[in-house]
Order: sequence, then C-alpha cells, then structure tokens
Amino acid sequence: MSKDFEQQLRDALQPVDPEEGFDQRVMARIAQERSRSRTKITRWASVALAASVLFVAVLGAHQWQLRREQEGLEARKQLIEALRLTGEKLDVAYQAVNRESSLPADDGSGA
Amino acid sequence: MKASEAWSGDELLTHARAGESSAFAALVRRYQRTVYSIALRMLNDRHRAEDLAQEVFLQLYRALDSIDSDTHLVFWLRKVAVNRAIDRMRQESRHDSEPLTDAVTVVDESIADDPLLHRRMTELIAELSPAARAVVVLRYQEDLDPVDIAGTLDMSINTVKSHLKRSLMQLRARVQGTAIVEDIR
Repeated sequence: MSKDFEQQLRDALQPVDPEEGFDQRVMARIAQERSRSRTKITRWASVALAASVLFVAVLGAHQWQLRREQEGLEARKQLIEALRLTGEKLDVAYQAVNRESSLPADDGSGA
Repeated sequence: MKASEAWSGDELLTHARAGESSAFAALVRRYQRTVYSIALRMLNDRHRAEDLAQEVFLQLYRALDSIDSDTHLVFWLRKVAVNRAIDRMRQESRHDSEPLTDAVTVVDESIADDPLLHRRMTELIAELSPAARAVVVLRYQEDLDPVDIAGTLDMSINTVKSHLKRSLMQLRARVQGTAIVEDIR
C-alpha cells in the first residue's frame, strides 16, 4: 500500500514542460535586463562626469582665488617695502637739510 | 539540431560562461523542465511558475561564473527554484491566497492513469506547508534521496525524514478521506 501510494505520488508529480518558447522569453528578459543595466551605467557615468567637471571647476576657482590672495599679499608687501624705502630716503634728506641749516651762516664777505 | 544541443552540460556551461548566448539558451532548454516543474508544484499556478522559473534562469545568468560543473548546476537550480518558491509563498501568505484551482490544469493527463486521483493528489500537496511541500517535490518529482534533499534545503536529514513521514501520513489520510466521501456519495 505504502509503495503504491508513493508510486501514485510519483505519477502525480511527473515533470511538466513550460509553454512553448520559454527559452526565448528567458533570453528576452536577459536582454532587457542587460539593456537596463547598460542605461543605468550610462546614467551613472554621466553623473560621474558632471560631478568631475563641477569638482574641477570648483577646485580651479578656489586655486584662482588663492593665487589672487597671494598676489594681493605680495603687492602689499612690495608697497610696504617701497614706503619703507621712501621713508628712509626722506629721513636721510631731512637729516641732510637739518645738517645744512645748523651750519654757521656764510655771509659771503670772504674775510 | 543545433550544435549546442549535442554538447554536454559542462561544455554548455563553458560556452555560456564565455558569453555565448546560444549556449545559455541551450542550458535553459535543457533544464527548463526541472525548474518549471519545481516552481509549478510549489506555487501551483502556471503563470507564477513561469515567472519564477524565468527569474531562476536570470539569476543563473548572473551567477554563471560561480557554477563549477553540470552537477553543481543542477543542484544550484533546484536549490534556487525551491528557495525562491518558498520565499514567494511566504510573501504571498500575508495576502490570502486563493484556493488552488489552477491545480486542475497541472496534471499531464496523457501520463496519468487516474487523472482525478492525480489531480486530487496535487491539490493536497499544494496544501502542505512550504517546507514540507519542498521535501515532497524533491523526493517524488526530482527523485532525490533524503541526504540530497537535506543538502538542497539546508535541513538536517532527520528534519527531511520527519517532513516526509508526516506529509505521507497526511496525504494518505486525506486521499482516503476523499475516497470515503466519494463512496458515500
């Protein structure tokens, strides 16, 4: 009885084929998935490219800003140096003028 | 006949792994019966079985590099088909599943000695719990022994044997019950 019953189970569970064209439907689904993943990759590549361009632009702007600041500092330093030199020269001139004026006055008689 | 149809499973695998879609299609044709039958017995619905079987082959396509041999492939296909079916049944059990009326179309009547009994049998199998159903399908449809079933389902052999014993008792009782009811009528 048990063997009969198990045989009945085997008979009831005979393998069944899917409907005609199953393999083609699977291949179509694979092709669809591949094209979807290709689209996804393209989209990601575009986003990555745009992000890279933006990054380079921001970095460039930042570098440009830094360079400008450095140039400004350099110009300021040069200006300060020039002012210092001018000051020194003015000092020398002032002292020379002072020295001249403190000498006894020459009346031009020659005696 | 296409050349790929004459290839062994291992040859087909090698060609499919190399990206030959005709080899992969031949693999699908070779194993569609196994995968579809498991899906059908588990889900008891032709449309859902077709969808699940397609998903199994789609997953195989992505996992081709991890398959070592033809034997491994068959093991893998059975395992993935059963596990996906169990997952789907569990997901769907949250929504009330309809009575398994589609089972009526599942029996291949050309090979059935007693179509009515076989139909009843597939209906009763469809009423088993997902795990018990998987064990019965692998035992009586795929003709696996308890050790292979345990490996496929990641269960202990004792659990497999206990599922088999309980399922057989349950099915026998239900079939006999049906026969008694029919006799009374």
